[in-house]
Amino acid sequence: MVLTRRTIVLGGLALLGAGALQKQAAAAAASYFDGTAIDNGVTFRATNFARIDRKWHRQVVKYFSSEPIGTVVVDTRHHFLYLIMENKTAIRYGVGVGREGFKWFGRATIDRKSLWPRWTPPPEMRKRHPELPEFVEGGSAKNPLGPRAMYLLRDGVDTGYRFHGTLEPGSIGKDASSGCIRMFNEDAIDLYQRCPIGTAVQVLPHIADQAGNAAQVSEATPVE
Amino acid sequence: MPATIGYTRPLMALTMLLALAACNTTDIASVEEPAAVPMTGQTNDPAPGFENVKLGSEEDFILNVGRRIYFTQDSATLDSVARVTLDNQANWLNSNPNWLLKLQGFADDSGSVAQMETLSQKRADAAMGYLASKGVDARRMWAKGYGKDREVRDCEDRSCKVQNRRVVSNLRTQRDAL
Repeated sequence: MVLTRRTIVLGGLALLGAGALQKQAAAAAASYFDGTAIDNGVTFRATNFARIDRKWHRQVVKYFSSEPIGTVVVDTRHHFLYLIMENKTAIRYGVGVGREGFKWFGRATIDRKSLWPRWTPPPEMRKRHPELPEFVEGGSAKNPLGPRAMYLLRDGVDTGYRFHGTLEPGSIGKDASSGCIRMFNEDAIDLYQRCPIGTAVQVLPHIADQAGNAAQVSEATPVE
Repeated sequence: MPATIGYTRPLMALTMLLALAACNTTDIASVEEPAAVPMTGQTNDPAPGFENVKLGSEEDFILNVGRRIYFTQDSATLDSVARVTLDNQANWLNSNPNWLLKLQGFADDSGSVAQMETLSQKRADAAMGYLASKGVDARRMWAKGYGKDREVRDCEDRSCKVQNRRVVSNLRTQRDAL
């Protein structure tokens, strides 16, 4: 293979460009974190909320739909999770939800909760990503469940879906996980404290009040 | 937002009148809450008082600490989750020493009305004792059990029951007559 001066120069430029891009991407991702926090003996990277759109921060909002107090409602289209409180209010959390094709809807119950849970990638995920290990220990910096998992069961049967933390705060507000509902780690810890075992959950394409903003019904199949 | 503020005061006055007029058992939230303002506006608007949450405010306590702890059936034992919430409450109360705290216990378990009253009082007392053990001056706190009264939700589903087995920590600026 004969390399002309031109290709070498171009190739060099391309390499330089790729390196710079990688650095930029790394810097952007890193800034989603700010310092560390300790939870149950595990040190983890604290979310840099200054970097996160205010929209996705935990906040108390008005809530006019009809779900009863204590229910957790997930609006998958708008990437919000609501914990219904009294007087037509709710605590709203920003969430990341399943990519197109992984979306699921229905009623469930939080029947099990765990601290720094071990992560076992589901078989279909390991098929797509053979590089994944059989499991990742709880508390590992590579464990995508983060500090908490709340397991969603339907009539005592595990739906396979969970509320959990994240390694990628930048994915909150986006469709980017395999069906699970991911939250900022600080929010997963907060929600865990507020939801007793037996809490009712509804995962919806969108809440009734947001119907106007959700003209298109999702193609995803309900889990019934 | 300024438009909402304009309405708030007359609405509050109106609500208080309505609350006095409609004193019935379905008005469950009123024992835990300041008088409810009939909500106007839209879902996802900031709730009144939560537009700009200040450290040390009641809104800060609700949003960043949490007022409720839960119990398993027939139990007044503080589990590990309840203790974490109480630890957070104690830290907050110790940094904000001007607030008083009323602990309200509730029960919706198996047993007579009298047993439920006892259980709810035990729950409130357990929470108060724990906060005191974490440095919150006992003179700032008082505990009352409400038994089966004032259920959050009145239904037989498990998801209702678990909501009713609780202690709510309410910030107060002065003592009330229980």
